[in-house]
Amino acid sequence: MKNLNKLLDEYEGMSGYRIVEKHVLSYELFFVHRSLETVRDTDTTATDVTVYVDHDGVMGDSTFHVYRSMTEDDIKNKIKTAASRALLVSNQPYELPDGGKLEEKLPTDLDKYEPKTLGRMIADAVYDADNVPGGSINALEIFIYREEKHVVNSRGVDKKQTVNRVMIEAIPTFTDRDESVELYEDHRFTKFDREKITAEISEKMKEVSDRYRAEKPGKELNVNVVLRPHEIASLCGELSYDCNYQAIYMHANLHKDGDDLQPGDCDKINLTMKGVIEGSENSAYFDGDGAKLTDTVIIKDGVVCGSHGSYRFGQYLGVKEPSGALGCIELGAGTLTDEEIGKEPYIDVVSMSGIQVDLYNDYIGGEIRLAYYYDGEKTTPVTGVSMSAKLSDVLSSLRLSKKTDVCRNYKGPVKLLMKGVSVL
Amino acid sequence: MPFSTYLDSMRDDCKELVAQLSKSFEYVSILGTDVHAEAYRADRKMSSAQDGEGECGFVIKMHNGDSFYEYSCDDIKGDKKALAEKIVNSTKTDPELYERRVKTAPVSDTPMKKDFVRETDFDKYSDEYLLSLCKNVSKKLLEKDEKVLNAMVVIQPYTVSKLFITKNRELSQHYGWANGGKMVIYNDGKMAQARDFDGAGSLAEIIAKLDKNLDKLIDLAKHLTKAQPIKPGVYDVITDSSITGLIAHEAFGHGVEMDQFVKDRAMAKHCVGQYVASPITNMHDGAAATVSVASYFFDDDGVLAHDTQIIKDGILVAGLSDLASATQLGTEPTGNGRRDNYRRKAYSRMTNTFFSKGTDKLEDMIASVKHGYMLFETNNGMEDPKNWQIQCTAEYGIEIVDGKLTENYVSPVVMSGSVPELLKSISMISDEFEVHGSGYCGKGYKEWVRVSDGGPNLKARCKLG
Repeated sequence: MKNLNKLLDEYEGMSGYRIVEKHVLSYELFFVHRSLETVRDTDTTATDVTVYVDHDGVMGDSTFHVYRSMTEDDIKNKIKTAASRALLVSNQPYELPDGGKLEEKLPTDLDKYEPKTLGRMIADAVYDADNVPGGSINALEIFIYREEKHVVNSRGVDKKQTVNRVMIEAIPTFTDRDESVELYEDHRFTKFDREKITAEISEKMKEVSDRYRAEKPGKELNVNVVLRPHEIASLCGELSYDCNYQAIYMHANLHKDGDDLQPGDCDKINLTMKGVIEGSENSAYFDGDGAKLTDTVIIKDGVVCGSHGSYRFGQYLGVKEPSGALGCIELGAGTLTDEEIGKEPYIDVVSMSGIQVDLYNDYIGGEIRLAYYYDGEKTTPVTGVSMSAKLSDVLSSLRLSKKTDVCRNYKGPVKLLMKGVSVL
Repeated sequence: MPFSTYLDSMRDDCKELVAQLSKSFEYVSILGTDVHAEAYRADRKMSSAQDGEGECGFVIKMHNGDSFYEYSCDDIKGDKKALAEKIVNSTKTDPELYERRVKTAPVSDTPMKKDFVRETDFDKYSDEYLLSLCKNVSKKLLEKDEKVLNAMVVIQPYTVSKLFITKNRELSQHYGWANGGKMVIYNDGKMAQARDFDGAGSLAEIIAKLDKNLDKLIDLAKHLTKAQPIKPGVYDVITDSSITGLIAHEAFGHGVEMDQFVKDRAMAKHCVGQYVASPITNMHDGAAATVSVASYFFDDDGVLAHDTQIIKDGILVAGLSDLASATQLGTEPTGNGRRDNYRRKAYSRMTNTFFSKGTDKLEDMIASVKHGYMLFETNNGMEDPKNWQIQCTAEYGIEIVDGKLTENYVSPVVMSGSVPELLKSISMISDEFEVHGSGYCGKGYKEWVRVSDGGPNLKARCKLG
């Protein structure tokens, strides 16, 4: 990067620059059933440079990639082209974040292990759960990453952070005679906990055997539906995008400050965008501009009260201290207990093809791959059904569990109860 | 723009590294990639002209009759003996996993030396021209109706150079593709977005389409502000070509990716030779099946492009494989080994996937529906190859009553259900045909590659919600 800095400093036709370099080391194992099919090792760097040019009272910018294969002359040409392109671009000016040196590592214990050893330990933890009669893990992919992100800009930002993370994709399967079903699951973590991995996969092994027994309900239902963290995170993601500086600047947002999303009797949404959530691989100390991150409440007691996003779009909206691009979402805990859920018939959704949340069309729905249907007396697994509801009705009547957990970039209630949903 | 001069200069380095690694492995291949993209974009307030997605690096694949080993890196210049030692060491496993390696047949390395080129016209257009075009079309859209809150216009050409070297094989390919389109955000009491995106082998085609159908796009947005949610139920549907493609993609594209056969993750493995669709149904996939966004000359395993017929007259006849899955299954690879980029593994992936056209007229198909919906424009979909469930989301639908399209729009529309039930319900297929080359496809929730899909209009019966 040193040489790149020098070349950019020497070029006279620009008013600023930003370099984002991401160096990734990965060790990857791919299993077919219990056999090791592929072993991968990677050592790669991606470098993006953005050149800023003030001209005619406006600001232009242009980004280009730098590859290790490039010669100094190649890079000089790329800088020149980017500066020319920036002159064609006439955007509202803004200031890059200034100053600040930082070198941090996100909390982890993964770096205590050799990747080869860790890979085997993770595989063992997963296959320890493969002990259900009729069950099997038909595929397992393990990705062990060490990612070092370095952001430098012309205003003195020089920040580096290291993230150690693991992503595993396990395919629990249940087979009886000629029929077989599976569930797709991925698990992400920044600390190795063998028992937790085995317990999570064991739970999925049980659920996949239930999917084998699952049937489509005999009639259309209008019933309470319980969502789990993966789907709750998607819903929160849509709500948070609506409060993003960029969406507001581009006129793509639906709601504004003061809008009450939950006029009914319900657990109120308290949504905070955060830089760091312990256990989340999306945690960061700074964003892609090298800007510091400030946790920001965007929905309080169901009412939109804030916005978030990058320095650039924050400045465009006149925000004095933009939050920075925050990657994690925290939803406040509610009051719902399992006992309350069981007071009425409900469907507990375990797995969906992909939840669809559409703010514009006031819609939430999707195909359910596995759920448990409690009809007031007994619980049976169901499949082959789809749910759909009016999003505003859902928000105005939802209940949130007391119990919380971390799932990807989300921390919050492990259950969200939607009332009176059509399930066909 | 010619084949990458950088990759061209690396041919001997690749051969030298193959020779070094061949001391430890029976089969060694090196794929070098040099992909350049540009992205031009304009809307009401902003514009940009910059590099789009690109990559430049190498992935080395090795095999000794057991597991496959891969090493991805940015460059292979320098001491090849030292690099080979580093690669051999890096791909070693924990000793406890050593005995759990798969056992497979050797990989064949049929001799071939060839350079493939499909020319583009990208060099004819300057940055200034392309960005100005985006700005002008955006301005025109904004000026047409004050209820247009924003109008985004993009042009994205990209060029691919890939070099593939083994002991016996030396292949290079160079081609390009361009995407372009426009989107408006419209507020008429309710907000709506309407899109019109496309792909083509030349920028001339994209440019020609870009400032056409502006009124149609705004009219669609207007209708979408009035769209209502659909009443969930089972309906007769007519698909536009993009929804036809989405069904092909989700139903029997992912379902016949043969790396899933190896893992016993696809029900299709047990259904080759059986009726899986209506007898009037035919479906293809292949980089050589048509010219679109996924039309390369050889795949990321160095296997030449194919045109694979997946369904013939309703019967499942073939699947799609990469080198690793074909080696384990004892079949010939079909040229479907694709990587997100050189940093990622190759999997069996779709390319250009489509249903073949039929003989029906679209107007007759619509006229045959007493009550149902015509579905338009892909939003997203999700596969379930093991259990043959499907979820396809259309941007919108138009109600059909007594054989006529009405003014009643519904949005969004989620089509779901059982794959064989849906495909066996296909009762009419139009004589029109269009493949859409502007899509991306993930495997599960990762490994994104560019794909196209499409076909004719279909009449089927399925659950909408």
